[in-house]
Amino acid sequence: MIKISKLTKIYGKNNNTFTALADVSFEVGAKSTVSIMGKSGSGKSTLMHIMSGLDHPTSGTVVIDGVNISKISPRAMDNFRATRMSFIFQAFFVEANQTCYQNVMLPLEIARVSLAKRKRLVAEALEAVELDSKANDLAANLSGGQKQRLAIARAIVNKPSILFADEPTGNLDSSTGDKIMNLLFGLNEKLGCILVIVTHDAELAKRCQTQIILKDGMVESINTKNKKKES
Amino acid sequence: MYLYDTIRRSLRSLLSAKSRTILTAFAIAVGTFALTLTLGASNGASNYANIIIKDNFDPTELIVSNDNTLFKSPDKIKPQVYDQSFSSVVSQAGAAKQVKVLSDNDMERIRQIPGVESVRPAISLNLQYITRDGQKKYVGTMQEFSSYKEPDLLAGTIPKNIPNHSLIIPEGFLEPLGFTNAQNAINKVVRVAVQKQVNQTAIISSILKGDVSSLKPNADNSNNSIEEQFKVIAVTKKPSTLVQPGTELYLYGNNSDVVRLNDYTTQNSLDYHKYLLAYVKVINGTNITTLNDAQAKIKKAGYSAQSVIDTEKTLTQVITVLQGIVMVFGLIAVVASVFGVVNTMYISVLQRTREIGLMKALGMHKRDINKLFLFEAALIGLFGGLLGSLTAVTLGTLLNPWISKKLSLGNISLLDFRLDQIIGLILMLVIIAVVAGLLPARKASKLEPIEALRIE
Repeated sequence: MIKISKLTKIYGKNNNTFTALADVSFEVGAKSTVSIMGKSGSGKSTLMHIMSGLDHPTSGTVVIDGVNISKISPRAMDNFRATRMSFIFQAFFVEANQTCYQNVMLPLEIARVSLAKRKRLVAEALEAVELDSKANDLAANLSGGQKQRLAIARAIVNKPSILFADEPTGNLDSSTGDKIMNLLFGLNEKLGCILVIVTHDAELAKRCQTQIILKDGMVESINTKNKKKES
Repeated sequence: MYLYDTIRRSLRSLLSAKSRTILTAFAIAVGTFALTLTLGASNGASNYANIIIKDNFDPTELIVSNDNTLFKSPDKIKPQVYDQSFSSVVSQAGAAKQVKVLSDNDMERIRQIPGVESVRPAISLNLQYITRDGQKKYVGTMQEFSSYKEPDLLAGTIPKNIPNHSLIIPEGFLEPLGFTNAQNAINKVVRVAVQKQVNQTAIISSILKGDVSSLKPNADNSNNSIEEQFKVIAVTKKPSTLVQPGTELYLYGNNSDVVRLNDYTTQNSLDYHKYLLAYVKVINGTNITTLNDAQAKIKKAGYSAQSVIDTEKTLTQVITVLQGIVMVFGLIAVVASVFGVVNTMYISVLQRTREIGLMKALGMHKRDINKLFLFEAALIGLFGGLLGSLTAVTLGTLLNPWISKKLSLGNISLLDFRLDQIIGLILMLVIIAVVAGLLPARKASKLEPIEALRIE
C-alpha cells in the first residue's frame, strides 16, 4: 500500500521558486493499478520520482507498506528500490550492445541475488514477455515493441511490489502499445504488484482502477472505478 | 553488486568500445614497453657487471693505491708539480702525469693495519716476448694468478700452489705458439723474455763522461734482457666478460716468478719495488662491515682504497645514467597516457549517462557505480601493462642472442626480464590508471538518476 500525505515539491530558492507539487495526498491499495495524468509540467513525473524515492519532497511523506521512504538513508532507499520497486520508461533504456539475457540480469546483480537463482528468474521473466527465444540476441536487433517487452522483463525479474511505468507506450504504435499494456495489466494480476502508470493516454488511464489527474502540481481529480472524488 | 559482477560489467563495457579501449591501452603500452626494456637492460647490465666482478676481483680484497687520482677524476685539470719520490712520468690519454706509488715501506705499513690479512703488489709485467722453438716471438703481459679466479680451462689444471716456472696461457696464444690444440700445449716448454727498463740516470751520466760505448746496443739485447723457460700447465678459455679489451691475452704465473721478473726489469730504475696498486686481503672480508672497516682504516692511514662494491659502482655508473634517461622517457609516456585514461573515462561516463541513471534507479549504490568505473580504468591499465610488457619481453627474448653476439657477451643476455619486476610494473600501471579514473568515476557516482534519465 502507498500512502501519499500532503506532498509538496518546490524547486529553486528565495524569490526564484517553482512549485511542482502542492499538497498532494492520496492512497493506493495493494495490487491495484493507478494512472497519473496531466499536461506537460503538471507534476506527474515529479510525483512518480518522489513516490519511487528518486527525488525528495520539500514537505509531506510517502509511506510504502509502512515505511516512510522520505526518512530513510540513501543506502536504505537504494536497497528498497532494488528489492521492492521497478521501472519501465518511454525510451526503453535497454543496453543495445548487450544480450536480452544480460539486460534482464541487471536488477538481479544490483540486488545481489545469488548466482544459482539468477538463471531461473531471468528465464521466467523472458518467458513472461515471450522473449525466451531471443535470450542470446543483442538488444540492438530487437524491434521497438520487443525492446519494451525486454524492459518489462527487466522490470519484473526481481518480482517487485511496485512497478512504475513512465509513458510505457509513448514510443510505440497503437497496436504494439495495446499489446504492451495488455501484458502489463496481465502481469499486475499475475504478480500482484501495484502498477503506477504515468501517461497522456486517456484510454490507457481508463483501464486503471484509480486515475489521478494533476493540474499545476495539484490533484485535480481522483477517479476510482465506480467512484469519483472531486478535489 | 557483487565484486565479480562489477568486474564483469566493467569488462563488458570496455569490450563494447573496443577501438577506444585498445587505443587508450596502447598509449599505456608504449610507456610500459620502454620501462620493461629499461628494467631488463638494467638487470642485464647488473648481471654483466657482477660477472665481471666475480671473474676478476676477489670480494675480500681491497685495491689500494698511494694516489687518489687513480680512482677518481680530478675536479680540475692543472699542471702537476714534479716530485722525485713519485714514479716515472706516465702518459696515457691526456697530459703527462706522475703517480704517487706504493713503496715497500708503504706495503709494510698497510700490512700492519688491523684487519689486514695480507698485501700483494699488483704487477702487470710487460714481456719482451714469448716464443717457442720454431715459432715467432710475440709480446705479452704476465700477471700473478690469483687463487680467487676460477677460469674455464680448455686443458690442464691449476694447482693451489703453482710451481715456479709454470705458465697458464690463454687460448689466444695456442695457434701463434704452434700448438694444434689446448691439450697439445700442456707440459710443453715456452720461452719468456723480459727486458730491463731504460735507466735514464745511467744514460745521462755516460753521456756527460763522454763514454757512450756502454750504451751501444747488442744485437740481441743480451746485456739488458733475460730469457727463461716456462712449462705450460693450463690453457684458459676466452672469458665471456672482460674488464678491458686485451686482458683475454694475459699470461699467468706464480707470485715468485712475476715478482722476480718484475724486479729484473725495474732494477736501477725509479720504478724498482714501486707499485701503482696493491691487493689487500681483509680478514673476514666477506663481511661487508669488516671490509668497510678495514677500508676506512687504510684511508685514514693516507691511502686510497677501493672495494669490489666501489668497482661495481664505477662499472655501472654510466649504464645507470643511460637507463635513467630511458626510464624518464618511459615515465613521461606513462604520465601522458594517464591523460588518455582520464579522457577515455570521461567519454565513457558521458556515453553511459542513461545507463548510470538506470542503474541508480534500480537501486545501485553510489559506491558500486564508483567501483564500476574504477575497475574499468584498472582494466585499461592492466591491458596496457600486459600489452607493453609482453611485447617488450617477446622482442627482447628474440633479440637477445643477436645482441649478445654483436657485443661479444657470450652466453650473457643483455636483456634480463624478471617476472617480479614486470608484475610490479603492471601493478603500478593499474594503480596509476585507477588514480586517473578517480575523477570520472566520482562524476559518474554523483550523477542524479532523474537528470541522467532525462538525457536524450
